[in-house]
Amino acid sequence: MVLLYLVFGAVFGFVLSRSGAADYDFIQGMFLLTNFQLYGIIGSAVAVTAPALFLLKRYGKTLLGQPLVIELKPGHRGNVVGGVLFGVGWSITGMCPGPILVNVGEGKLYALAALAGALVGAGAFGIAYPKLQAPMRLPALARGTGDG
Amino acid sequence: MLILHDLQAIHWAVAGLGISFVTITLLAVANRRLGVSTGFEDICSLVLDAPYFKRSAVTQGRPWRLPMLLGLLLGGVLSAVLGGGWAATWDLGMFDTEIGWGPAGKVAWMFAGGLFIGFGTRLAGGCTSGHGIFGLSNLELPSLVTTVSFMGAGVVVTNLLYRVIL
Repeated sequence: MVLLYLVFGAVFGFVLSRSGAADYDFIQGMFLLTNFQLYGIIGSAVAVTAPALFLLKRYGKTLLGQPLVIELKPGHRGNVVGGVLFGVGWSITGMCPGPILVNVGEGKLYALAALAGALVGAGAFGIAYPKLQAPMRLPALARGTGDG
Repeated sequence: MLILHDLQAIHWAVAGLGISFVTITLLAVANRRLGVSTGFEDICSLVLDAPYFKRSAVTQGRPWRLPMLLGLLLGGVLSAVLGGGWAATWDLGMFDTEIGWGPAGKVAWMFAGGLFIGFGTRLAGGCTSGHGIFGLSNLELPSLVTTVSFMGAGVVVTNLLYRVIL
């Protein structure tokens, strides 16, 4: 199974690399509303995934026969506050989490700094979780803000 | 044109289909919900002792997320190798032409941006993949709220930088 996840990641990474989703200029063009490419990518990915997901949920099982498990993400104030913070970071770096790794792989040296920052940021969030829980209305620590 | 070897970008619909294929196959075969940013927590959990990093959602996610993260990196390597050869580079497109900072400035800029990404995605409970692709496709309201928030913030900051400040 490890090999399977490695292959999934590599296919995902290759597509992100070649489509502009891991490219600083394409990301700024998306936010400047001058380049349609990223809206097309995300829009078509959702347009195809949504009906496929609907059908798969109706089928209710994985292809290996296990019951399908989809953990829904909880709603809380962190969706807005964290979303805004992430948007700021996406604009600054031109990368969201997947493309940070893709850019590192492509040989873009500055992406290593973005990766280091993201790891420190995620670490700080985990350590601060008990303090953020009440003001952000976050779920119990065991559940967290949602996988994804 | 991409920064990487000035390659022509593939059509957006091809990319959308590819991402959709990965998302659906990951769920249909392995019963996994696509999401990258939790992988940052998985990496943190290898070295940090805080209770947040000891919870089972993190430790049980490591065996599949860490290989997927490594795969993302390899996808980038493969793309560079097949697209004209792998080479270390500082090229940053319009940042170079409009702002023009050298390596030290880029490292500081990217590290600062990374802090926002790491903290923000985990506070929001996901990123472009977990909320934007999977969550929206699954019609989850928190994902819509998060996606609108990060797209809106990105539009504001990039426009501030390239149309107001510069």
